[in-house]
Amino acid sequence: MSESPGNVQGSLAALYESLQTSVLQLFTDPTQLSPGQAVLVAASALFVGAVVWTCCGGQRQRRTKVKLRAEFTPGMVYLHTLPAVKAIPCLTPFGIKLETYLRMADIPYEPMYGRSIGPKGKVPWIEYNGEAMGDSGLIMEFLNREKGVDLNRTLSDADKAVSRAFTKMVEENTYWGMAWNRWIDNFDNLHDLFEVSKTVMFFLRPFKGRLQQTMWAHGIGRHSKEDMEGIIEKDLWAISTFLGTKPYLMGDEPTEVDAAVFGQLSELLWTLPGSYLHRIVTVGCPNLQAYCSRIKNRYWSDWDQLTKNAKKTKEDMSLYSEIFSM
Amino acid sequence: MSGFVQSLWEAVGTLFQTFEQLLTDPAQLSCDDLVVLGACSVCVTVAVLWACSGEELRTQKVKVRADFTPGKVYYHGIPPVRAIPCLSPFGLKLETYLRMADIPYEPSTEMAMGPKGKLPWIEYNGQAMGDSNLIIEFLNKEKGVDLNRSLHDADRAVSRAFVKMLEENTYWGGAKCKMIDNQDKIQELWEVSWFIFFFYLKPAIKTIKKNMWAHGIGRHSDAELEAIVEKDVRALSDFLGSKLYLMGDEPTEADAAVFGFLAQILWTMPGTYMYRIVTEDCPNLQAYTIRMKERYWPDWDQLTGNTKKDQ
Repeated sequence: MSESPGNVQGSLAALYESLQTSVLQLFTDPTQLSPGQAVLVAASALFVGAVVWTCCGGQRQRRTKVKLRAEFTPGMVYLHTLPAVKAIPCLTPFGIKLETYLRMADIPYEPMYGRSIGPKGKVPWIEYNGEAMGDSGLIMEFLNREKGVDLNRTLSDADKAVSRAFTKMVEENTYWGMAWNRWIDNFDNLHDLFEVSKTVMFFLRPFKGRLQQTMWAHGIGRHSKEDMEGIIEKDLWAISTFLGTKPYLMGDEPTEVDAAVFGQLSELLWTLPGSYLHRIVTVGCPNLQAYCSRIKNRYWSDWDQLTKNAKKTKEDMSLYSEIFSM
Repeated sequence: MSGFVQSLWEAVGTLFQTFEQLLTDPAQLSCDDLVVLGACSVCVTVAVLWACSGEELRTQKVKVRADFTPGKVYYHGIPPVRAIPCLSPFGLKLETYLRMADIPYEPSTEMAMGPKGKLPWIEYNGQAMGDSNLIIEFLNKEKGVDLNRSLHDADRAVSRAFVKMLEENTYWGGAKCKMIDNQDKIQELWEVSWFIFFFYLKPAIKTIKKNMWAHGIGRHSDAELEAIVEKDVRALSDFLGSKLYLMGDEPTEADAAVFGFLAQILWTMPGTYMYRIVTEDCPNLQAYTIRMKERYWPDWDQLTGNTKKDQ
């Protein structure tokens, strides 16, 4: 039953010819395809797919191409961030952080809602003098230099160090508690928060799995739900304990870390009602709730105006899906 | 082409024909054909299951010892190499904590991944436990230990913030520097054969890159990442100042974590930018690390097999 191909070249030629015939057959009269031909075509398709996937899998390691505006005002910050919903002016804590910083530093900016992902595949990002810049922390450092801003000028070196440590803790650790709670524990209620139909959320379901993979890779996703909630709770208690009775984290006046901490806590306070996170920042640590309201009243006097006028569009949903596919 | 390749082609051709035979007229299949098909099906099924089950399922099964001494900590880290007693900052942290807390433990001589797919991990009363922080919290409760008893609540909070910064942010800079940027030194550092390096360490390096991308920090350019790491380390140095230990005159829990991290830079990453920061730019960090080593690791040289001190 088995034939020996004469030589390798002969085998290759025969295989190629079989493939050609099979593909032609597929397009002209599929019902006439023999099982062998079907297997050959399927195997070839899989092989080609695997090669393309491997080559294009490197896509994510390259800088994302972003479309910049052709005309810009020199020195103006164009802030790309997530659009407002009824619950909050921006659904990403890093967006709230960056926008709060811009307001604290009195840097005029033009918000650009929806439409595109930044150069590192995330939002928020800014356009400045025709250049795209990603990562809220790096953007703030750049703007500090560019605009001669120093919100930390009253702090000692040791206090600046403490300030950085809290920023990193809240952004690299506590943040994942919010992400988990929002996208995994409460996925079925997200349509309310995002103000879209359940059907739309159904199509975003794959991103739940994507986030789980991301958190696994990060490390924190390997914990049981109980362990992880314990970790996040301890972070929040640490912030509350350190804040104590002070109006702002480092003292009587706001500093840069307040933008970061407010960014994270505001999401817990206003977008996760009924969650353990909400309970901690309200019932468990009421000074955190008071702190958030204080910053909101001082820097977001237009909060109600932004959130009441929130309107969801199709482009906004495609932005969410873009973010989670990166 | 070699005879091997030709045989391979013949085998592939045969396989296709056998498969076609299965679909057209199975009755004609010989026993040999069935064996071949059966073997292929098993291989494909196993491969698909393996790929689809994801790392989660692959790493959950951990072998724990059947006979254990109740109340004893069996510690799994990375066994000592010439450069350092443990190549993992979290392993060195956990082991330093055990020494600081005077908790007797038995280190494993082999390297094995724990219940969360990582190390270090411990076995305690027949249970496997992962994550150095969760282990420390557990042992604090179990053994009635509190290395932070002298700290006020606000200081404990600051202590936690610094540990989180180092472990959730700066750590990735260290991992990249040690494992990705200095790949040519890894085989020597880990003291493994080429086989182990190629089949175990190289895939681990790929995993680190993937994890860094997922974390977010891997999306920065090299220069950006180095600047982030530098700021973290300088912040640590500024906060330490002229104090003997991170939070004051006596060591506390955070010192285990900080030492675990800085020791890697000092003794396994010579010539790197991180080494320069910890020695030239922030010499108080080097002095601090040596202070911790001398206090809690008097057997360092014995473990690493060094015969001369090198400071």
